[in-house]
Amino acid sequence: MLIDTLITGLVAGGTYALVAMGLTIQFGISRIMNLAHGDTIIAACFASFILFSVFGLSPILALMIVVPAGYVLSDAIYRLIMRPLVARAPNAGALEVDSILVTFGLLFVIQGVLLVAFGGNYTGYTFLNTPVDLFGTIVAANRLLALFLALVFGITLIFVLSRTRWGMTLRAVSIAPENAPLVGIDINRAARTAFALGGALAATAGVVVSMYQTFTATIGVIFTMKALIVVILGGKGSLTGALIGGLLLGLVETFVAAYIDPGLTLAATYTIFLLLLILRPTGFFGQAG
Amino acid sequence: MWSRPIWVMVMLELSDVTIRYGQHLAVDRVSATVAPGETVVILGANGAGKTSLLKAISGIITAQPGSAIRFQDCDVTGTPAHEITGAGIALVPEGRGLFGGMTVRDNLRLGANPARARALEKERLELVHDLFPRLAERQGQIVRTMSGGEQQMVAIARALMSNPDLLLLDEPSLGLAPIVVQELFRALARIRETGVGLLIVEQNVRLSLGIADRGYLMEAGRLTGEGSADDLLTDDAVQNAFLGTVS
Ligand SMILES: Nc1ncnc2c1ncn2[C@@H]1O[C@H](COP(=O)(O)OP(=O)(O)O)[C@@H](O)[C@H]1O
Ligand SMILES: [Mg+2]
Repeated sequence: MLIDTLITGLVAGGTYALVAMGLTIQFGISRIMNLAHGDTIIAACFASFILFSVFGLSPILALMIVVPAGYVLSDAIYRLIMRPLVARAPNAGALEVDSILVTFGLLFVIQGVLLVAFGGNYTGYTFLNTPVDLFGTIVAANRLLALFLALVFGITLIFVLSRTRWGMTLRAVSIAPENAPLVGIDINRAARTAFALGGALAATAGVVVSMYQTFTATIGVIFTMKALIVVILGGKGSLTGALIGGLLLGLVETFVAAYIDPGLTLAATYTIFLLLLILRPTGFFGQAG
Repeated sequence: MWSRPIWVMVMLELSDVTIRYGQHLAVDRVSATVAPGETVVILGANGAGKTSLLKAISGIITAQPGSAIRFQDCDVTGTPAHEITGAGIALVPEGRGLFGGMTVRDNLRLGANPARARALEKERLELVHDLFPRLAERQGQIVRTMSGGEQQMVAIARALMSNPDLLLLDEPSLGLAPIVVQELFRALARIRETGVGLLIVEQNVRLSLGIADRGYLMEAGRLTGEGSADDLLTDDAVQNAFLGTVS
């Protein structure tokens, strides 16, 4: 029971971490609060569903198609919809507010397209549903794979952003955008790259989620909401915070559901959220200024 | 150095540079030059328009139509800030413009981000550590936790990492203790020896003219005087205008 809950919690948490990393990159660097983030994830779920059930492509291979597609499509969305907002916003605060309104609209567009194409029912496919014996507990292999993938993608991203020059320029933009041009960084380009990267992460999360759970066209907002909580939990703009915050949220949810009452999952999440907002508004890894 | 053709006798040339903030005229038809490897100081009180001028050169703000900024035979008027560094002009701004949450090492690495500097990163880092040995000892320190003087060193070092032909410094001595200011100007004198051109905006008349070849006086948006550093040091007008700030 304990190991089972732990694994379930970590699997959910790994997904939350990926989802939150995408959101925090878009928010920290592009200054865009993307409320359509969860719907991008669901679109990726359906994409891997199609690739699996129509073309017989395993989700592992689907990653190689869906993730680049997430990057390219998000890049296009940035150029089409976000750039005019960036151009007219007098400051970062105005851009954040505008982006909330616009991505709120985008949310319904993506959701509408998915509803028309796939209907409102739960969808899913069976992949690698073989039992694995882990310390005496039986776990489905697809869950372990999902956790593994989430950790690999998350840790790789943290490593790339903290060690490479390219990653360093993105971090510099999130720390002090006004100073970035002094070292030759084009902040508009960095914003576009970060938005596209967030889209690629959403796509990754979507494929990973579709491997082990069912989904509907309308549950995107749940992912967005949880990502928001994790981002604030871990500290706005902090990738390490998003990774640890995501895992933590997954564990708390699962343990509350297993040991207290499944009905209290959301309540527990919000209690942590509220306590943190009151006690440490910058999050675990956030820094003021 | 190949990037500094000897036939260019004027490296930076400002002609009729005018800057407005809305209706407010901050810089009024300023014309000035800096030769390759030359050290030039612009002296002026608060609000004279010194910062605005440096911002226009480095592309952070746009000068009015009719202004011309030429650098090494290129028209760089209106070139965006992130491209200016690549052209060979590095700014150490008022307030230093550092990435406070990052380490000294990361700030310096970012300094070498422009394409012209990437291949030279190792040599530049050696030069910079040679100029500021303390930065070599503090590579892992978060910049925000350093003293004002140390942060100013990081800011200058970061600008030098971009392998500039011209270094712009906006009141580098501002807010520093006198002994730190002395140390800073000794470092600037050595930077000057490396052959890079320096355009320094200062209120510290004696120390800045002490390392300069030439100086301009700026008042209420206009250049009101010009001379060799030695002449300006003994000039009555300079003495009178800056008596309160002479160190
Ligand atoms: N962003 C701005 N908006 C409006 N006025 C400004 C702005 N920046 C500077 N000024 C005005 O322009 C003039 C020159 O300022 P500045 O270039 O900062 O001078 P200095 O660096 O010599 O102190 C001052 O009158 C200042 O109030
Ligand atoms: Mg100033």
